[in-house]
Amino acid sequence: MNDAQRRLSRCFSAVFPGLSREQISAVSVETTEAWDSVASVTLISLIQEEFGIDLETDAIDHLVSFGAILDYLNGLPERS
Amino acid sequence: MKLVEAIETLEQSLPPQSPLLHVQLACGFTPLHLSTFLSAHLRLEFPDRKIVIRTGVFGNLAGNLERLENADADAVAVSVEWQDLDPRLGIRRLGGWAPKQLPDIVRNARAQADRVSESLERIAQSKMIALALPTLPLPPLAFTPGWQAGSLESDLRGIVAELSSRLARVAGIRIVSAQRLDRISPPPARFDIQSELRTGFPYSLNHADALAGLLARMIRNPSPKKGLITDLDDTLWMGILGEVGVENIAWDLDHHAQKHGLYQQMLASLAAAGVLIAVASKNDPALVEEAFHKATPILDQHRIFPLEIHWGAKSESVARILRAWNIGADSVVFVDDSALDLAEVKAAHPEIECRLFPRDNDKAAYELLEDLRDLFGKQALSQEDEIRLESLRAAHAANEADVSPRSSPERFLKEAGGKLQLSFAKNPADPRPLELINKTNQFNLNGKRHTEASWKRYLSEPQVFVLVASYEDKFGPLGKIAVLAGRRDGGMLRLDHWVLSCRAFSRRIEHGCLLRLFEKFDAQEAACDFVATPRNGPLQEFFTELLGAAPGPGCSIRRKQLLKCPPVYFEIQEVADE
Repeated sequence: MNDAQRRLSRCFSAVFPGLSREQISAVSVETTEAWDSVASVTLISLIQEEFGIDLETDAIDHLVSFGAILDYLNGLPERS
Repeated sequence: MKLVEAIETLEQSLPPQSPLLHVQLACGFTPLHLSTFLSAHLRLEFPDRKIVIRTGVFGNLAGNLERLENADADAVAVSVEWQDLDPRLGIRRLGGWAPKQLPDIVRNARAQADRVSESLERIAQSKMIALALPTLPLPPLAFTPGWQAGSLESDLRGIVAELSSRLARVAGIRIVSAQRLDRISPPPARFDIQSELRTGFPYSLNHADALAGLLARMIRNPSPKKGLITDLDDTLWMGILGEVGVENIAWDLDHHAQKHGLYQQMLASLAAAGVLIAVASKNDPALVEEAFHKATPILDQHRIFPLEIHWGAKSESVARILRAWNIGADSVVFVDDSALDLAEVKAAHPEIECRLFPRDNDKAAYELLEDLRDLFGKQALSQEDEIRLESLRAAHAANEADVSPRSSPERFLKEAGGKLQLSFAKNPADPRPLELINKTNQFNLNGKRHTEASWKRYLSEPQVFVLVASYEDKFGPLGKIAVLAGRRDGGMLRLDHWVLSCRAFSRRIEHGCLLRLFEKFDAQEAACDFVATPRNGPLQEFFTELLGAAPGPGCSIRRKQLLKCPPVYFEIQEVADE
């Protein structure tokens, strides 16, 4: 598990405390009933805070699974 | 605190039977992260309570407040923002910012402020309120440039200032300090426009955290420290008295010693607000006496009790001062310019708060003044605050008289000319009984505390009675010094609380209260909710003497046991109401 994956996993654990680490890595809007609008807003806020980024509205609409968010974060330019 | 830390704090488990703390969060926006941060900060402030936050409906602060008037809650946290005074002051509604509309916005804001104020005043009659007034910037709706405060901004800020001024005087309402919030949450970083537009939550996470932290602290309302012990040389004044002489110590601008003058001014202010001030100084007593008489510091000598001036260890001085004050080290702050002396005192009295007086750093000295105000700050001043020092001096004088060879305790009590005033009025607006219950440790039936809301609820129960005792004798008034509270069930009394201020020990006030309580209710027995605590030894001694055995849970005092009470020599007077 790389650093981004570990930090993202902590964000997901905070929002979905009932999920195991393995379940978190496979979680998505479609497979997780608890991923409602409040969970989504909280998750976005946690990710922005944890990674020090501002997620654009267009990007947020596509961040619908742990994998998609991790890919997005890994694709961001390195911050000095 | 980061949001993830707040959520993780809330996930930490508590024992299933942990008492609940119900807090109503009232705001016009989506409470979202403010609710999370508030829960987390309350959890830190009340580590043994399970926090339950309830919120209202979106976009209707005034309605939410009106619904709260009859709601059950231990406390209420309220965040008022500009859009709660008029939706056109927010960015989620497009009601227009045309110049001709601005007067109507001001009129509407004033009317809404009045509505909010009236609701809050009604809620405050039964619940404690922590209130934040608009913290976000006004949107650019005025026709004036942003660097100029035009009539619209001035009028709106005037409305909020009037609202704040009015509500700050209402018992039970505590308002977040804008100045403190500015320091921990810089205004330009507060507004999160993206969050406001997407979710209706207008705060940046840092701002939500800062605001929630202040609201939670006001809900807990930490007990202020009671006494301050200060050093003299290079602390109360600049200069080493024994080296420079009385004429060369200073605390003014001319001698670049203003920080010492400000420190004296702060101590004089604290003393006038009922804080006990003592001196612990390694010095020549005669020189110190001369300094106070000739140099006349801002902090007058009569405000100081006691003065421990000698060449012995500071920790010994502190121990004697604590005995004279009869309070614990955890209620006291010690200020000295010597790190060594601070460490020596801290080692002997680990619970005391030690602060270095930064003699070479004006900024740090100013921060010390702010720190002292936080440590000793209180909601309101009481009659007891005014008489505390004189009362202590009187107690000291009384003790001296008591131990003199020509006196006996009986003779001393007979000649004291005491008067005990008892009130059975249940007055929720009087903060003193709750203060006594929540602060008293030594003569305390069980150490059980109340929040303002739970105390008001308790008083509202019809079978509950309260006895509040005030005492004075020839040595001076002690003010309200005892509370007995419980329930009446025919000839049976159930005592839930019994506290007596340590200033009032050794006068048989506890006996007088008990005798009159049985007489008032024609009671045969009083069942006591006694709990042994680490600090209620004096109460346990009293019970042991009265009952003939050490008290235990569920112990009772029977009427015939009152015959064992020693005689009381003071006059007992019942007052009808206040």
